[in-house]
Amino acid sequence: MIRGALVGAALIVLAALAGALYQQWRRAAGLRLQLDAATLELQQLQVACSRLAPAGVVQRLVADGTTPSAEATAERKVATALFADLVGYTAMSERLEPAVLARVLNGYFQRMSDAIHQHRGHVSTFLGDGILAYFGAIQPNPWQCDDAVRAALAMRAALEAYNVELTAEGLPALALGVGIHRGPGLAGLIGARERMEYGFVGSTVNLAARVQGLTRVHQVDILVTEALRAELDPHFVLTPMPPETVKGIVEAVVTYAVKG
Amino acid sequence: MATALDHVAWEPCPFEPQRDRALETYARRKQRMPNPALAYFAPVPWFARALVDLHPEYGLLLRLDYEVMDLVQLVVSQENSCRFCYAAVRAMLWAQGMSRARIERIEQDLARADLPPRTLAAIAFGRSQSRTGPAGAAAAREALARAGVGAEEMREIAFAVALTDFSNRAHSIAAIPSRPMERMPEQLHVRLMRPLMNLMLRRSRFHGQRTPEGAASVPPHSRLVRAYEGSPIAAALGRTLEALWASPVLTRRCKLLIFAVVSRGLSCQTCPHEIVSGLRREGISDATVAQVLTHLDAPELDPVERLLVPFARETIWYEPATIQRRVRALREQLAKPQLLEAIGVASLANGLCRLGAMVVDAP
Repeated sequence: MIRGALVGAALIVLAALAGALYQQWRRAAGLRLQLDAATLELQQLQVACSRLAPAGVVQRLVADGTTPSAEATAERKVATALFADLVGYTAMSERLEPAVLARVLNGYFQRMSDAIHQHRGHVSTFLGDGILAYFGAIQPNPWQCDDAVRAALAMRAALEAYNVELTAEGLPALALGVGIHRGPGLAGLIGARERMEYGFVGSTVNLAARVQGLTRVHQVDILVTEALRAELDPHFVLTPMPPETVKGIVEAVVTYAVKG
Repeated sequence: MATALDHVAWEPCPFEPQRDRALETYARRKQRMPNPALAYFAPVPWFARALVDLHPEYGLLLRLDYEVMDLVQLVVSQENSCRFCYAAVRAMLWAQGMSRARIERIEQDLARADLPPRTLAAIAFGRSQSRTGPAGAAAAREALARAGVGAEEMREIAFAVALTDFSNRAHSIAAIPSRPMERMPEQLHVRLMRPLMNLMLRRSRFHGQRTPEGAASVPPHSRLVRAYEGSPIAAALGRTLEALWASPVLTRRCKLLIFAVVSRGLSCQTCPHEIVSGLRREGISDATVAQVLTHLDAPELDPVERLLVPFARETIWYEPATIQRRVRALREQLAKPQLLEAIGVASLANGLCRLGAMVVDAP
């Protein structure tokens, strides 16, 4: 009788222990799943970051666990800068409802980004209605000039298609101005401690922006500099434009309009 | 089991596998187990055989430890986002007794994994070479030397990295289905056979023996083959290159152009001289070569070359799904063997360019 009770008690204790162990095992399995998911998410984030900055820079950031100094990540490179801006954006922004304007702009940015990405460019930043993109700043690209001009032509074609959609909706058509220049600069993580981005800085980017401004002067949509033209595939159809002085540059800038 | 490459988009394979019993027997004899992926490459025999012959596992290495080689292959496949090779190396590590937890720990935090410094240096080298290529070769050599890796072992690590780059491109660009390989460790019958697989793997992997020096090799890449004199790698590389040049699917000129474009895209200082000399012998003027390398086109190119020259450039830095869609589009314009051979040549060019910068220019 007593033996039976003892066996029963032992079985109850064993069952309670087994239950507790099972609970612990389930909890551990749940935590492990959460940890796996978090790790996977982090890895995916790292891969996503690699598309915004050279993988080496991302790896250094992850390994250090801190923000590296600009000296640690910046390097001198020759890259091509493409600066694009919407013509007549200010007037359009005053006419359209904010929600409609946002939708039109988002559609524009998406199409332009796709065209740049398809030709191995990297969109660095959106500045109001402007787009700054680089070719050859993240990965070496000996064909960066041809790529940049092909991207600009793809942007032109994409905008034409987008304008058909906008006009059908009774919205104003958009017009584009693109300036492209190739030259040396400093590529690396640029910004403040709280917010950094991988960028390409120097006079090359400034000149691309100035050349973009000249598209209004010459009444064309795509302009390239002499430095870029010298590296360009002769199959592109270019028209020389009269030299123009631009802010911050002593000599008049020679540019070429890209026809096709 | 979720892996770090689950998010990598992978398109359906545009090629049908083609059974080739002679190739299957050849691969089974060397690898001691079937390799179903080879059937996709069967229309181009040198390419399919190169995937077996150049695999460092089967008697090509003299010094490098196989565990180090496996880990190098794992991280290089991760770098190149090759779902197929990544799953294959993971399955190999698992079959050899490494626990899933340890594999995951290595993947997640290589810098802090419980591995010897020399192994960590080899892994870091694999990563940097896949990312930067020839531009980072000098720094990569110095880092390995600092970790105490000797010249011969360094050459073998470079070979393992370069050949993983080749294999990754071959499987990624051709979009070889990765799911069967990814599912392998989850299947009950595979799990039951794990000890047997381990035994077979251990029996099939062996270190090679020093070979007599003076293996003849024809350019281009003869300097690269000579750099491995005394190692079984020289003979394997020499045979593969000879078979590649002898293959009648694409012209020699077209293959040289693919090599030239990849070498230019990687800013390789080692390969261009031999390649440009080869193009000259094929009757292509220096001006045409310059135009092709500067603008990826020239009026003198034939229709196949005009398709494959820009394609070669896309194999240097790529996202798998994007290049797989590109291959699907090319499949409509080229015969299957032509496209497969172009993938093989471009993949090998990518591997050899990285390798050349490491071993030919070494002081």
